[in-house]
Amino acid sequence: MSLGYLTRRLFSVLLVLVIVSFAVFAITMILPGNAAVMILGEYATEDQLLALAEVLGLNRPWYIQYFEWAGNILQADWGMSLRLSLPVGEVVGDAFWNSASLAVTALVTVIIIAIPLGILAALYRGSKVDLGIGLFAYVGTAMPEFVTATLLLVFLAGSAGGYLPAGGFIAPNESFPGFVSHVILPAGTLGLILMAHIARQVRSEMSDVLASDYIRAARLKGLRERTVIRRHALPNSLAPAVAVISLDIGYLLGGIIVVEEIFAWPGLGRLLIYALENRDLPVIQAITLLLAAVYALSNLFSDLVIAALDPRVRY
Amino acid sequence: MVEKLGNLPAEASLDGLTVLAIRDYSLNYNTTSGPFEALKSINLEINRGQTLGLVGESGSGKTSLAWAIMRYLPDNASEVSGSISLLGENLRGKSHQEILEIRGRRISMVFQDPSTSLNPVIRLGDQIAEVLVRHRGLTPKQALTEGEALLATTGITKPAEMMDRYPHQASGGEKQRVVIATAFACNPELIIFDEPTTALDIITARQILDLFDRLREETQVTALYISHDLGLVSRIADDVAVIRRGLVVEEEPCDRVFSAPQHQYTRDLIAAVPHPNRRIASPAPEESASDLLNMTGVSVRYGETSILTRIFQPDRELTYGACDVSLNVRLRELLGVVGESGSGKSTIAKVLAGLQDFDGSLRFNERVFATRKSINTDYRRAVQIVFQNPDASLNPRQKIREILSRPLKLYKIVPRSEIPQRIRDLLSKVLLPEEFADRYPHQLSGGEKQRVAIARAFAAEPELVICDEITSSLDVSVQASVAKLLVDLQRDTGTTCIFITHDLNLIRQLAHRIAVMYRGSLVDLFETNEAENAERHSYTRALLDAVPVPAGTESSPSA
Amino acid sequence: MSDFVRHPAGVAGAILLTIIALAVLFGPLVAPYDPQAFHTTVRLQGPSADHWLGTDQFGRDLLSRLLFGARSTIAFGVGATMISVIAGSLIGVTAGVVGGWIDSVIMRGLDGMLAVPDLLFVLLIVTMLGAGTGEAMLAVSIAFTPGMARISRSSVLSIRTREYVLAAVARGESQRYIILSEVIPNAIGPIIVEGTIRVSFAIMIGATLGFLGMGAQPPSTEWGLMVSEARQFMYRSPWVVAVPGLAIAVAAMGFNLFGDALRDAFDPRRSR
Repeated sequence: MSLGYLTRRLFSVLLVLVIVSFAVFAITMILPGNAAVMILGEYATEDQLLALAEVLGLNRPWYIQYFEWAGNILQADWGMSLRLSLPVGEVVGDAFWNSASLAVTALVTVIIIAIPLGILAALYRGSKVDLGIGLFAYVGTAMPEFVTATLLLVFLAGSAGGYLPAGGFIAPNESFPGFVSHVILPAGTLGLILMAHIARQVRSEMSDVLASDYIRAARLKGLRERTVIRRHALPNSLAPAVAVISLDIGYLLGGIIVVEEIFAWPGLGRLLIYALENRDLPVIQAITLLLAAVYALSNLFSDLVIAALDPRVRY
Repeated sequence: MVEKLGNLPAEASLDGLTVLAIRDYSLNYNTTSGPFEALKSINLEINRGQTLGLVGESGSGKTSLAWAIMRYLPDNASEVSGSISLLGENLRGKSHQEILEIRGRRISMVFQDPSTSLNPVIRLGDQIAEVLVRHRGLTPKQALTEGEALLATTGITKPAEMMDRYPHQASGGEKQRVVIATAFACNPELIIFDEPTTALDIITARQILDLFDRLREETQVTALYISHDLGLVSRIADDVAVIRRGLVVEEEPCDRVFSAPQHQYTRDLIAAVPHPNRRIASPAPEESASDLLNMTGVSVRYGETSILTRIFQPDRELTYGACDVSLNVRLRELLGVVGESGSGKSTIAKVLAGLQDFDGSLRFNERVFATRKSINTDYRRAVQIVFQNPDASLNPRQKIREILSRPLKLYKIVPRSEIPQRIRDLLSKVLLPEEFADRYPHQLSGGEKQRVAIARAFAAEPELVICDEITSSLDVSVQASVAKLLVDLQRDTGTTCIFITHDLNLIRQLAHRIAVMYRGSLVDLFETNEAENAERHSYTRALLDAVPVPAGTESSPSA
Repeated sequence: MSDFVRHPAGVAGAILLTIIALAVLFGPLVAPYDPQAFHTTVRLQGPSADHWLGTDQFGRDLLSRLLFGARSTIAFGVGATMISVIAGSLIGVTAGVVGGWIDSVIMRGLDGMLAVPDLLFVLLIVTMLGAGTGEAMLAVSIAFTPGMARISRSSVLSIRTREYVLAAVARGESQRYIILSEVIPNAIGPIIVEGTIRVSFAIMIGATLGFLGMGAQPPSTEWGLMVSEARQFMYRSPWVVAVPGLAIAVAAMGFNLFGDALRDAFDPRRSR
């Protein structure tokens, strides 16, 4: 792993974030209802709006506004939320950790369940186990999060089931059992579609590995099948599995928006919906940038993991 | 390395002992269109210390036989009859557990492509050691030591280093030595070699063949050597069996196969093996013939990019495909260009066909071209190219009629109304039936597709046809017919031809002059009959040594 | 293409798609009731002889609402994807054919857009354009275009180096002929496969937007909207959310299965 490669990748991530920030800025500039209207409300007079716009610098050319905004971001000044009258950094910060606890729980569950499922399906190709997992995979990838969430709620929460709370959040450091009972449904919803997709991909990758020449050669050396799977097949399917998971983090970040909204989980997703409905520009910009950065960095991280797993990959 | 062979006591008289006996063995594959008879009543025997060469073209069933012996058949295979015995024990009756004990220990296998048959994420040393741990009960540490010793016997110069490497860090020849060492590790009674040199370069292939010969002598191992190359097999086998479409058509001691072949197919195969003394060429052009084409100082550099691309893709390096090549092509000659992969011969072909940017100059018909862009339509009509891979050289979505009519329309060779007739003429010139005009490429065989590609090239009425390894992807018997077709066409039309190949024996049959390329440079250029002269370049001589004339064919020029 | 039929997944997908197509085309004609008609005496009922899929909180027949909503939901998905396929293919084919620094710049741009998760991108655009079916469709098309562009580009790149294309270049054929006759007919396969699978995603995102109130608006009977409108009653009668929800899943699955079978038909060497 050369330092040169790492530097180049980080530069690449930065470049991508610049493009994203540009796009976000452009979009929010086009949004009807600029900041002045937001702050003063709908009944402000034309003069008041103009005066405030002048003060806020909204009449300057767009590129000056962009550079000032970008400069602020880099200095960790994310501006003030238009609706909540709080610094954006504060508002987003708390939400970030809440989302993180949900996302990490979902991701860990997915990895623990989906990868073995995929491997099992490949090992027992054509059997009932494989068909069952395949069916689960097809159904799972076809259910949008809100459908899964709704169905889970109907059967496991509320008056029908009553086993689990229908929403809300308790921080893990306040009460771990409380956290667990509240996180099960949202993480399960998030996890379901991911599990289905990843299991299917892992099955496909593992099948390719099992059909390869070197597995055949290993079997023809008289090695026991257990050894062939453990020593020869699994290590070759780990790197592709990591690649799939890193791609799916994109789905995760999208799905988390809906899931948090449905389960009233106070994270970035729910905050984003709120901000979009209320045209709270600084918050929208901050969350979008943050999510894009998380995605890009997780891709970088998974590339590093793949390099560690596969000796052919040398940067 | 070997004290006793397999389970047999060293003192027992072992000559004449039958190690492998296949009796009346038949194998079917159950396909959606009914059962396919892959092997029909095979009867073969290999005695201790003997090597049986099994020769067949693609689809002959030779690989299926190897899988049958190793008991590694797919689910849709059904064994209809017969037995396969190892030292008298019928393998067909054995349980899966017993077979696992036999594989690697009593029968082992060397595969065709060492790049794919070695696990890319496991060190080479571990891949040898695991066989020793599994079958000879060694501890991992002992196994690694023993593995190192095995590598040394297969000619690896620094075995300790090689043990630590991963497959992608070793060359093709080194990897194949590792695979061979693994196969010999447990002193098996029988080793199956499945085309072990096909995926290697000429010179490396020769080295591996020599290694096989030496190990054969040293260990007296019993071997089944599978190949499509009758010439190659003749050099290392004691007995030869020829298999065609699942049937063994001939089985004789090696020298008898060549001196008195029984079956017509064997005779055809022998005739198809390229032999330098059997000239198929058209009459040579006169000494004073003028040059059709001159290449002067042509170089091809890869990796040069614009600034923007360098910012976005900084990993690209500068490499040379061809280095300062100067070559002349005489009118009406067939010029052979020989080299291994990476020698630059295909690069030169692409430059001449106007497909590759280059430095230097081309002089063709009084005009000089210094860049690819300056190459005009006249040149492109006059210079045509035929590619190696028959599956990829024809547009799968076009009928043969359309493929052949393109050059006719583009260069306005004949008026529209005469196109159908011209297509018929072209097809008959390449010995294909008229009806093929309405077919799609996937309905044709490899050899037929290659004929269409040749027809397409000649449709433009060119002055120069470049053939880039056009026979390399074809079966031996088909190779010979396509090569002959080309020579006939050349003679009939007076077209000049450049024939690129790695097969030195073949080019000595066809060419008037031969150019030798090595690592992008032209190292030798000579008249064909001067090939074995003393003043040849050392690389040329190495190539000639690597592909000696097939044994047993010197005295019989044609059958 | 005839071995396509042998795959059970493909057959299942084809059957589902046929049902869906029929629902889209003829749904409103065969629906037993007016989707907006209240039947106050039979609210929140499960399936019965009169109402095969049950009724919602206003007594509206779920089956009829489903059949009317098929157009909003499915046609949305198909339409959005088709736009993105056309736009993406144009960009991707251009990038693949032209090469050089233009290609690099386009790729960087695409990478940037692909760095934002799909749903997030769509939400941003929808917020900018305003809620509504048409706006949502445009948003989804824009969000899918970079992905389709990438697939088209890589398909073109892999065809460009095939020998029959090289033969055409060597002959001196015009760029126009090469692209239209040699490259595109052979590059289209993977693009169509990806497009078919994307329809299922488009349907799901469209329904999600409807659910969030940012897509189809009432009184549309878009399936996602149906779920969100009935949410507060779901404990009393799960049918009211399960019916539209599962319909979405079935539709998405149909396109998914069909797309996978298409992929196998185009490249049978892939192990499944």
